[in-house]
Amino acid sequence: MLAIRGIHNPSGRFSLRPPTMNDVQYFRSVLSRTERSILTDLMEIDGAGDYNDSGEELQRYNRDWTKTYHGSSSLVLRPQDTAEVSSILSYCHENYIGITPQGGNTGLCGGATPITNEIILSLEDLNNIHHLDPFSGILQCDAGCILQNLHDYANERGFLLPLDIGSKGTCQIGGNISTNAGGQYFFRFGGLHGTVMGMEVVLPNGEVLHFNMDIGSDVENNAKENGIKRSGSHRKDNTGYDLKHLFIGAEGTLGVVTKVAIACPALPSSRNAAFLICNSYDKVLHVIKAAKEDLGEILSAIEVMDWNTLQLVQSHGISVNEDNYGRNGLLGEILAAETSGESRPLYLLIETQGSNSEHDNSKMDAFLSRLFESCAIDNGFLSQDSKQMMEMWKIRESCNPSVARAGCVYKFDVSVPMKDYVDVAHEVDSDGNAHINIVPKLGNFDKDKSLAKLIENIVYSTVVSRNGSISAEHGLGQSKNSYLSKIKTKSTLEIMSQVKRIFDPRGIMNPGKYLPLCQ
Amino acid sequence: MKILVPIKRVIDYAIKIRVDPTKGAHGVQLNNVKMSMNPFCEIAIEEAIRIKESAAKAKKDAAEVVAVSIGPKQCGETIRTALAMGADRGIHIETKGDVRGDYIDLQPWGIARLLKGVVEKEENVDLVLLGKQSIDSDCGQTGPLLAGFLNSPQATFAAKVTMEDDGAFSVERETDTGTETIKLNPGHSPAVITCDLRLNTPRYPTMPNIMKAKKKPVQIISLEDMAKELGLDLDDVLKPRNEVVEVYEPPPRKEGEMVASVDELIGKLKEKGLVA
Repeated sequence: MLAIRGIHNPSGRFSLRPPTMNDVQYFRSVLSRTERSILTDLMEIDGAGDYNDSGEELQRYNRDWTKTYHGSSSLVLRPQDTAEVSSILSYCHENYIGITPQGGNTGLCGGATPITNEIILSLEDLNNIHHLDPFSGILQCDAGCILQNLHDYANERGFLLPLDIGSKGTCQIGGNISTNAGGQYFFRFGGLHGTVMGMEVVLPNGEVLHFNMDIGSDVENNAKENGIKRSGSHRKDNTGYDLKHLFIGAEGTLGVVTKVAIACPALPSSRNAAFLICNSYDKVLHVIKAAKEDLGEILSAIEVMDWNTLQLVQSHGISVNEDNYGRNGLLGEILAAETSGESRPLYLLIETQGSNSEHDNSKMDAFLSRLFESCAIDNGFLSQDSKQMMEMWKIRESCNPSVARAGCVYKFDVSVPMKDYVDVAHEVDSDGNAHINIVPKLGNFDKDKSLAKLIENIVYSTVVSRNGSISAEHGLGQSKNSYLSKIKTKSTLEIMSQVKRIFDPRGIMNPGKYLPLCQ
Repeated sequence: MKILVPIKRVIDYAIKIRVDPTKGAHGVQLNNVKMSMNPFCEIAIEEAIRIKESAAKAKKDAAEVVAVSIGPKQCGETIRTALAMGADRGIHIETKGDVRGDYIDLQPWGIARLLKGVVEKEENVDLVLLGKQSIDSDCGQTGPLLAGFLNSPQATFAAKVTMEDDGAFSVERETDTGTETIKLNPGHSPAVITCDLRLNTPRYPTMPNIMKAKKKPVQIISLEDMAKELGLDLDDVLKPRNEVVEVYEPPPRKEGEMVASVDELIGKLKEKGLVA
């Protein structure tokens, strides 16, 4: 039996072991649909058993989206319901086996990739959408639901899911919650700490807990026993320590989220978008301030992009540049638009959402007139219909994938005070703004580890010297946890470790991640 | 040179249409639904502006592009979009609340009669460019009816329009069997051309043009007044020639079936009689 090298759970008291064929046999006996729920390349102990072709599929789970992190897990489990998650976790807890929960595997810090050969627990088959209450707007669903499907479900019923990120076609809501994903609606609806109403979680010892959610057998039993009427998830519930907040952003280190209740606002009937062009960062700041003042409550998103990024979208973007007939699209016109020409332009995408299109149009009109007359913008485009609005968003959402196609990218997601963005960008000599993508050599896809370390040090020290955050949105995973000790005080880290020990005394959940290794 | 472009305000093409089955023929929900310019009308405006621009380049007489729309107050926004794209002025024939601004009350026959009146009132219109059809009614009748009323040469489903030196229009049309080229010679009456998808890609209005558009003149006249001015019987204009019998949503797409193996797939295909 191999001990996992280099993995210490935070308490350092126990060492974890990888799964064996015996464990696989146990799982075969307790899980349903075993041909689906169990994916492994472990051979039978006596050498018998069918040769399976699981190599390719296992690789998919063992590798992250950026292709930076590679695990060596031999066993992927895909439970079909909460009860199966519970039996898996309690078994692993009993037997000191490490587990890495995984959702859509779209994370950018390697949080869902095992460090070595921990079991990968995929939530993808927990994908039922249960209910959307038409009065409270609270949507209850399983953690493995794909974000896009939740959007479609909510839209059909006249509601809007308050979380939207570029990976929504693949990412799952459980993963979003575990990483406290931000996204383009963060500005308007706040983060998940504000919109998640309830949760069902499975603790590392197998216990199932419900926080302000009424779907699940133990809640039903409790209700029956105590004669309590079930009444669903509520927006207001002020009863005791709000434990669900610990799980939001815990990156799978405290337990597994299996169900979610999220509050959805009404679907706005009126949406508008404008793509604006400024010739300096000062003007960009001016536009942002004016947007908040003039558009007020209907402002729903502000995205800033720079010239370098849009150039890469034009050269490496897929189906962004042409319509079905091969003609020049919006991006071409944006890059060709007249500007003052003093320096490289900066671009903003501004979106509004509201319930009254006349009201929204007149606000947008006044806002744009004011900007144009005060010369805060050189030029701009206002969407005239849904097609143009979708094209504007397509350009924005193509930024990351296009840059990734241009060469090996060193990615950073940082928070700094807004006025300091451009100074940070110049110091780092990079593409600038919050999502910093550094492509040292176009066309080169090999990651240079020493170069990566060098760049990382420059970026983080710049950010930290301005009291910014080294991870605005993407989380810590296995890429940033070592920095945690540089930016949090010893007492803070100590309390975090204690919380971890309370929930996961044997340290089986996502070992080696999130908190710094030596604690 | 004068080009008239009738444009229609319809439910935005990307919106999912909701039907209230209790409302019969009026079942399509219009409340609080995003409306935009009919995509084919956008293409017509774009073509008109291109003709204007090439006339300017060839140093011919300045061409004028006039956008016309019939419908409720909000049609004014649709006209502003046309002006922001480059049209010179607009005419808004405004309907009141009791007239539904869509294919139920404003039907091709009535619209074509009104447009005939506008063409004659404007005088010296060389070309009328329309979208081939609107995406709400999909009738495709307004252009041909108008050409009939005006006794005009017409070409529908235009994929390419070229203006010749003698003032004639050479039009390539898309048909099921291939492309057909027609030459239209406007004489006393303007040429009537309806535009298809492949004709052009409409431009995006830029900020300077959007600002300029606010100052361009738009004549607003009520439907009653316009009918009176043109000597038309309003009831005759609004009388429906097409009767909407029923409106319903298409049946929902059936869920696909998952199969576990190639053999199972073949079995299912045989079951459904799709393979021998």
